[in-house]
Amino acid sequence: MANQESDKFVTITVDGITARVPPGTLVIEAARQIGVMIPHFCYHPKLAPDANCRMCLVEIEKIPKLQTSCSTPVAEGMVVKSSVPNVEEARKSVLEFILANHPLDCPVCDQGGRCDLQDFSHEYTPTTGRFKELKRIFPKEYFSPLIETQMNRCIQCLRCVRYCDQVMDVQALAPSGRGTMTEIKHFSIHELDCEFCGGCVQICPVGAITSRLSMYDFRPWMLKRADTICTYCGDGCQITIQTKDNELIEVNSTHGAGRNNGDLCPRGYFGYHASVHADRLNHPLIRQQDGTYAEVTWEDALELIAERFSQIKLAHGADAFGGLITSRCTNEELYLFQKFMRVVLGTNRIDSSARYGHINGIQALRRVQGTHRWTVTYEDIVAADTLLLVGTNITETNPITGLKVKEAVKKQGAALITIESLLPIRGTISNITTLASHHVPVHPDYFGLAVLGLIKSVLEQGLATASLSERAPTFVQSIRSAVGKVPWETVERHLGLGRDTFVEAARTFSQAKRVIILAGQGVLRAPQGSDVVTNLLDLLILTGHHGRPGCGLGTLAEENNDQGAVEMGAVAEYLPGPSELGDQTARKNLSKIWGDEIPQSPGATLMDMLEEARTGRLKAMFIVGENPVATLPPQAKVEESLDGLEFLVCQELFLTETAKRAHVVLPACSYAEKDGTFTNTEGCVQSVRRAMEPIGESRPDWEVFSALSLLMGNPIEYGEAKEIFKEIRSAISGYGLLGPSATPPRIKDEVVDRYLQEGFKTDVEVRYAFEQENTQPDEMLTLASVQSLFHSGKFSTRAKGLLQIQASGFLNVNPVDATRLGLADGDPVRLSNTRGEATTKVKLLDRVPVGVAFFPEHFDQNIRGLFSLETDPQTRVPYFKLTRVRVDRMQEEIPGKG
Amino acid sequence: MKFRDWIKTITFYEILLGMKETIKHLVHYKPITLQYPHEKKPLAENYRGMLALLRYDDGTEKCVGCDLCEAACPSRVIRVISTEVPGEPTKRYAKEYYMDMTRCLFCGLCVQACPVDALGMTREYEWAVYDKRKLHLNKEQLLAIGDRAFPVREKQLEFQHPNVAYFNVSFKDIPEKAN
Repeated sequence: MANQESDKFVTITVDGITARVPPGTLVIEAARQIGVMIPHFCYHPKLAPDANCRMCLVEIEKIPKLQTSCSTPVAEGMVVKSSVPNVEEARKSVLEFILANHPLDCPVCDQGGRCDLQDFSHEYTPTTGRFKELKRIFPKEYFSPLIETQMNRCIQCLRCVRYCDQVMDVQALAPSGRGTMTEIKHFSIHELDCEFCGGCVQICPVGAITSRLSMYDFRPWMLKRADTICTYCGDGCQITIQTKDNELIEVNSTHGAGRNNGDLCPRGYFGYHASVHADRLNHPLIRQQDGTYAEVTWEDALELIAERFSQIKLAHGADAFGGLITSRCTNEELYLFQKFMRVVLGTNRIDSSARYGHINGIQALRRVQGTHRWTVTYEDIVAADTLLLVGTNITETNPITGLKVKEAVKKQGAALITIESLLPIRGTISNITTLASHHVPVHPDYFGLAVLGLIKSVLEQGLATASLSERAPTFVQSIRSAVGKVPWETVERHLGLGRDTFVEAARTFSQAKRVIILAGQGVLRAPQGSDVVTNLLDLLILTGHHGRPGCGLGTLAEENNDQGAVEMGAVAEYLPGPSELGDQTARKNLSKIWGDEIPQSPGATLMDMLEEARTGRLKAMFIVGENPVATLPPQAKVEESLDGLEFLVCQELFLTETAKRAHVVLPACSYAEKDGTFTNTEGCVQSVRRAMEPIGESRPDWEVFSALSLLMGNPIEYGEAKEIFKEIRSAISGYGLLGPSATPPRIKDEVVDRYLQEGFKTDVEVRYAFEQENTQPDEMLTLASVQSLFHSGKFSTRAKGLLQIQASGFLNVNPVDATRLGLADGDPVRLSNTRGEATTKVKLLDRVPVGVAFFPEHFDQNIRGLFSLETDPQTRVPYFKLTRVRVDRMQEEIPGKG
Repeated sequence: MKFRDWIKTITFYEILLGMKETIKHLVHYKPITLQYPHEKKPLAENYRGMLALLRYDDGTEKCVGCDLCEAACPSRVIRVISTEVPGEPTKRYAKEYYMDMTRCLFCGLCVQACPVDALGMTREYEWAVYDKRKLHLNKEQLLAIGDRAFPVREKQLEFQHPNVAYFNVSFKDIPEKAN
């Protein structure tokens, strides 16, 4: 035993304190664990040691010269001295050289007050320098609208360059020049064009790289900090919102904080101004006879709503109501909303934006393995041997989960299989397919077919686990026969890739010990989304990975609380839990907690509610933060549905297209102004904290539901958001392990058994059938509405920082297509198909596959008219992300778009 | 002892003793009251009077809006709102500068904290007002005090210390900060 332990740890003494640390630990890290801070600039735990700043020199016994502690691994019995005169003398010299050229403009530098160089200078140097020479001066070059550089302040530690390469895999920055004249530059003559993750700003130990957005608006000691969760995607990054006098100043994230470990994306780092946009609603509004809105008091607005709701309930019954809530709300609000709809109004007609796709993944997970969350965590992604990404475009949609994948591949050497509609070509932003060991480029229509090809290849090569044939022989056989019906020729005709493509990928996948599959928007928001996720789970079962530690499937959520919306029961088919609406024990339990009956009537999903509103069955709707008018394509006839309602209440941050049709509009608080919790895509429930006072008269959504319930004579009252969370914990067993690391649920073996014996039979033929024929004529392109790295929904289009990176939508096409269609970069084009036409501009992008065009879903609403709308027969998810269009060059300029 | 006490009592000795001081003061009368405002006391060499903002010899404000005075002030007199100089991107200045002189202790910490010597303590002290709000001074008022109290101005920083490198300079080729 003793021997074993000493193998695992080595003894090291730093400044007289002895500790045992794992071998391979760097001296600087060991010292940190012991509690000795060794000053450093270029070292950062996320980056490989570079030892260029020489600040971390220490004396190590038996080594004649001073050593850089950031690059020296510990050895048994090592004795390190960090505060002997020798070392202090060395530090003094290092700092004297660094300060020889530093402009000492600390008073005007935004880093002043939180600057490593400032702190160390105060601690380790005399106050005067001996250099009489003139300081080095770099001519200022314009760098970027958001990231400001002051190269005179740079100490050439190259942290930014290494972060950009090692962590972000963007490689936008590089040092140029030699010696003291080394300068951090980007690789072009035009302004910096990169991911704008803000990583270089955050990691710079001095003020050489700062954020232009908040430049000179603050001094660090003035800021009030609140650790909260970002609202832009399902990754659930912890951000620290910093305010000065109730004014948003900046957002950052500390190393080691939250699930993101301090890394952010452009949305998180530069997108914070959306919630303080000047268009924010400040007062409740009531629509007048002439269609204008009058500002009223909360009392008037709420009384009117309560009165009208009560009237409608009396006249038409409870099922004349429908509720729609955005998944950007907190768990508490989602829970209270569904409770309000179910208890006070008495209807199950509730839906949330999880309906746009996330529900597909959850239904598949529940069906096959009985969980509604991932069975893996981000740590498992990093530790995985093989990762399979299907339709994710993860670096743009979920950048921080993408970082975990990058870390697994770049640092841990994991194999990466990508089934993506991207070409593996580097661009200004990172592209996950360039890291793939096996990349299967597919047309966005055919993710399901590619998954089928992979399963087919696994079965053909006999890679399916042997034990499964004993456990569920019919399961394997049915899948074998089902995939057998789709010949390789069909696969090849549609994907352009045959059997050979999948052989290696299937082998890598099957032989790995820890396998994780991530399914993204390309799968979840496209027809048969739920089926493809089920097939991916089948693949895990076939290869024997299902249920093994560190293996599992994750679906990537687009909105920050898609997962929470389903768990809180803010969807038609689930009660909080989520439990099925018909689950008697859950109903009994809930009605005991709520002290009220749960309505019996079946729920109605978003598309059904809109249909019912059109036919006049639905009389009133309560829409919270959701904007179906601008989200769904025109053939969904949302406007018609909403205009037909007797009463429409919208609770919103802005007067959106949907809110403009409401009878009463209530101003709500943004995420920065309220308390609560968000559940991220991996199922980690994290605290959202109020960073600033509510803007105008806006109030947190839950307060409004509570107040309305009181006015309607069925009070559900809470003092603060925490009380609702307490109730959620009592309503959902095993819920809510708040903390930095998520504890994932385990798969339920009885559910898997049931699925393997009987459950799969209902639709195995359908799931593996392939009938789609490629009918794309040559002159048409497949138009895909995709998420941009720089935006999230429509919310972020009000963030001034993000608008400086991307202010409008462009039609991204492959240069090959552009040449074929006679298009050049920046050309105005007309997109047309049988549904209509729209105009935009072309931007060439190498990574877009041939025959496909991408358009960011955040901009230019007229393009929505081109998309087809299809509703999933099972999960009722509306699909409207793909269409075929003709692209023609326009001769004249588009007015107003110069 | 008793006899001496008796003599003192009948001769009113204590009263005479007291009267001696009174008479002495009457004879050697010397007024110490200063007839303010007709007379004024000379001020000490390092007198700390009214605060003022200063300018360089070319008339530009010295203040770079670094907020260090605000941080140094023990009684929260000062409020600085800093931003980019309009038309001179990446150069910092105080867009607004307020001093609430009703709270000021005249301790001079702000003057010591200022890295560019933009603050000065004048020898003005006659600042009694009927309306306290008049003691809430803005940047223009503080500059005006500086103008009348410090007629001799310093040169720009780079002419004083040639080795200050690029301390708060503007760059022509850079667009303004967006708003």
